Amino acid sequence: MAELSAFNFRPGSSVLHGLDVRFKLIFLVLISFTSLKAYTVALSFLTLVLVAALMHSGLSLKSILKTFRYVFVLLAFIFIARALSTPGSVVAEFKAISITREGIYYGAMICWRLVIVILTGLSFVLTTRPSEIKAAVEWTLNPFPFIPAKRIATMMSLMVRFLPVIIDQAKETADAQRARGIENRKNPVYRFGKLGIPLMRRTFARADKLAVAMEARCYSENRTDPVLSAGIMDWIALCGVICFCLVIIKT
Amino acid sequence: MNIIEIENLSHYFADGTCGLENINLTIREGTFVVIAGQNGSGKTTLLKHLNGLLLPTTGTVRLAGVPVSENLVKARQMVGMVFQDPDSQIVGETVCDDVAFGPENLCLDRSEVKRRVSRTLKVVGLLDFEDQKPHLLSGGEKRRLAIAGILAMEPKVLVFDEPFSSLDYPGVKQVLKQIISLHRSGHTILVAVHDLEKVIAHVDRLVIMKDGKVVKDGMPSQLLGELEAFGIREPCASRLGMEVQSWLN
Repeated sequence: MAELSAFNFRPGSSVLHGLDVRFKLIFLVLISFTSLKAYTVALSFLTLVLVAALMHSGLSLKSILKTFRYVFVLLAFIFIARALSTPGSVVAEFKAISITREGIYYGAMICWRLVIVILTGLSFVLTTRPSEIKAAVEWTLNPFPFIPAKRIATMMSLMVRFLPVIIDQAKETADAQRARGIENRKNPVYRFGKLGIPLMRRTFARADKLAVAMEARCYSENRTDPVLSAGIMDWIALCGVICFCLVIIKT
Repeated sequence: MNIIEIENLSHYFADGTCGLENINLTIREGTFVVIAGQNGSGKTTLLKHLNGLLLPTTGTVRLAGVPVSENLVKARQMVGMVFQDPDSQIVGETVCDDVAFGPENLCLDRSEVKRRVSRTLKVVGLLDFEDQKPHLLSGGEKRRLAIAGILAMEPKVLVFDEPFSSLDYPGVKQVLKQIISLHRSGHTILVAVHDLEKVIAHVDRLVIMKDGKVVKDGMPSQLLGELEAFGIREPCASRLGMEVQSWLN
């Protein structure tokens, strides 16, 4: 569970904590898209701003690096694939494989941009209550006819709530099978079946119990609406982010 | 005043199995009743009829004189049910969100929802955990959160299905203390258990079920000697001829 807890809401009183969730959602989209157009100087600036914002929100540099330890593995794959597949001036060569200068540069840029997107997402999740995210999803989907916004928002929040429980169950089932020597069976399909079927059975049984428990608490789609309110700070922040994104795109 | 009146209640499941057979029971407001029986004796099936999660095949269940089937939302607000597995009952991503779930379903004002959440978390002693993820709580804390989620709907009757299952000793004490304090604050309490040891010292009335029927109903002290005939373990102190002691002493 520790792996998951880094991407959790942390209570606090930072500027980001105080902003309206809808604005934060817009910032997330704007900064993510703008980072695709950014190069070294803009990316350095964005990284500094985001790391500072995360630290201001209560996350230490060590925790940020710890959160990224698995992401770095993924980024390493992307970097290697890009370095090996981009044509250009060769830096190193081994048989048919060659690493190019352009490949290294573009690989590094893509990885850096992905880091920016993840840092932006992290600062959003870290400073926003899950109930506010649910409210923002509901608010965003409300104008679209034929889309059951409340149901989608509830399903999303239940998914967030039950993901750790399902992971715990998977771990427990895997441990129980290891205790009975499943590791001696080398066939991955056999092992996957033996883990997947009981896990799915337990998950569906839990979903049934959950539905009854929700019914017992009078669940209906006609519920108290979430309260979302935008203040002057939100508009100032929006102007700042838009200007910043325009500068990056123009340069 | 009788808050729950059950008349000739029978329930048959879709496959034809008999869940309950001709149950007649009245429960006075403010009493603490324990329903005991082996696994499969019909305790949970009976409890689910009290808030309309199951409806009778024959017979009626009335809450304060009104049949449950007439207004299910009202019945569920009036009878709060705490399930055996709190992990399946807790729906919020944080403690605070979970407690707000019930009041939000009742379409209360946001300010009233907030008031009820704070008040309830204070009652169960989880005020410092309001932003905590529910899956990170201990067993006893999860059970108290499940109780808080129900209390926020301000029910008159609280129904607990095996409230002490899979809890360690401190967890049992926490939950028992909570149940007793809720009884003292005027709630009618119904607890379904298969092991009476932890709760028997505090209850006003003992109902024993077997094979979907109520087989005994009376004062706990009068029925202790007959428990084992129905597959329920007699409390240790009673076996030794001593007075039954509270787990809180």
